Amino acid sequence: MTATTVNPKARRMGRTGRMLIALVVVALFLAYLSPVIWLVMSSFKNRVDIFTTSPTVFFKPTLDNYTVAFQDKGFGANLQNSVIIAVISSAVALLVGIPAAYRLSRHGSRFQGAFLLALLSARLLPAMVLSVPLFVLANKVGLSGTYLAVVAAHLTFAIPFTVWMMRGFFLAVPTSLDEAARLDGCSETAAFFRVVLPLTKGGIAATAIFLLINSWNEFLFALILTSRDTATLPVGIPNLLTPIGTFWGQIAAVATVTVVPICIFAFAVQKYMVAGLTGGALANE
Amino acid sequence: MLGLVVLFPLAYSIKLSFQSYSPIIPNHTGQWVGMDNYQRILHDGDFHHSLIVTAIFVVVAVSLETVLGVVVGIAIDRLRRMRRFATSALLLPMILTPLVVGLMFNFALNAQFGYLTWVFNTLHVAGGDGVLNGSVGALVALIFIDVWEWFPFVALMVVAGLQTIPKEPLEAASIDGASTRQVYWHITLPLLRPILGIAILFRATEAIREFDKVFVLTGGGPGSATAVNDLYQYRVSFLNWDLSYGAALGLVTFAAVLALSFLMYRSLRRKETAR
Repeated sequence: MTATTVNPKARRMGRTGRMLIALVVVALFLAYLSPVIWLVMSSFKNRVDIFTTSPTVFFKPTLDNYTVAFQDKGFGANLQNSVIIAVISSAVALLVGIPAAYRLSRHGSRFQGAFLLALLSARLLPAMVLSVPLFVLANKVGLSGTYLAVVAAHLTFAIPFTVWMMRGFFLAVPTSLDEAARLDGCSETAAFFRVVLPLTKGGIAATAIFLLINSWNEFLFALILTSRDTATLPVGIPNLLTPIGTFWGQIAAVATVTVVPICIFAFAVQKYMVAGLTGGALANE
Repeated sequence: MLGLVVLFPLAYSIKLSFQSYSPIIPNHTGQWVGMDNYQRILHDGDFHHSLIVTAIFVVVAVSLETVLGVVVGIAIDRLRRMRRFATSALLLPMILTPLVVGLMFNFALNAQFGYLTWVFNTLHVAGGDGVLNGSVGALVALIFIDVWEWFPFVALMVVAGLQTIPKEPLEAASIDGASTRQVYWHITLPLLRPILGIAILFRATEAIREFDKVFVLTGGGPGSATAVNDLYQYRVSFLNWDLSYGAALGLVTFAAVLALSFLMYRSLRRKETAR
């Protein structure tokens, strides 16, 4: 909102008043984000600094947790699995979802309402409900523990998400534009590729990033459908909570590596956050 | 494609729920058992307990998220230079891997060396043996963590909503001598109602299927104190390997979620048209 709507009291405050507000806001957010800060700090601590009854704020940083986790304990492979599964499932979802979303945004058909409703119900479907049949089916056809099984499971939420998101972006492109292209002799496909697609590049990028984040963060499907060789990062981390002791330093290191890429990605699509978090149900603004 | 990845497993699940199937329990090789699994649901005390835990979790967590989200959203809307910083900081918890969120708090609340345990002990607000080890404490912690993670969602929706509502009624009211608080309570809040309704609908339908955080925070424990519905189903299907019963539980849950969201959506629509 613009400055005109800021209440008069705030306007009356001087420079010191505003500084004070800024300080309070920063302090509140530091406290609010302290669990994250603490996790990242702990990933650079040695055992002695982690296992203390009063928190250690100053310590000599070490990279030991990272080297042990990623070199000796094989979390490099988990990282690789996470990347493979996220990239493949996002790519397939875009390939299938974008044309479907375009159709839905252009052709008002009788089935459109029903189709959108079905997509919405698919979004409401708890992962737990699909996990049982997917597990049994994957075992029956011998796909259990393969990338394909997890990718298919991730598509159950990735495709509906893509269609909803992209439909919003396509609806924002006036139909008159593709009609003009059609009049100039473009086929429907050509009109889509030459006119509509370039206009929705930003939206596609945002959708792709949300797809990557969603697949990357997913836990239940990956837990029941992967084997030791195909386990993603979220599935691998709880293995460090063992009955003989919990390797908190290494957990913190792997967790940090898990969340850093998605944080970078998320800030790139901050503008589309509300749309992304509501799966495109709210306007893409 | 969607039919293949969603409808087929769903149909398979329905078939499974009328059978008796388990990869490890003897004599459960997929015989047809009719409504047995559904009848079992009616007498399953553990399932009923999990429903109560889920209901407490969803109602308390979503209510707190709504109230806190509205307050923080309005506060952020009044910020000027700090606004960007505040919205960026609020995005972080929502996009963090839910499993990592659970682990992070498991670490912070560790009875021996968790920094939050130290804070609580210093302030004398909680017992010395760790909040996660008591059944009430564990549920409170789970709710607290969900609020930590998701009140920003409501706050962001409020910030977005405040940008779309017309300014004239607000200005008119303050010219007529209404205090800032009166303006917010009597004008802004009612105007925000539609977007708040959507936010609550989203939060409720997502909180009902809470799994990742509980799994890694308490594993449903101590005992079954934090065994929410999805965690109970996980225990049935993937610890006891009673997959056909798990399928029936899942389908009943899905039907309930659908009915609930339909009802919430309808009441939302009605309120909107009533105005």
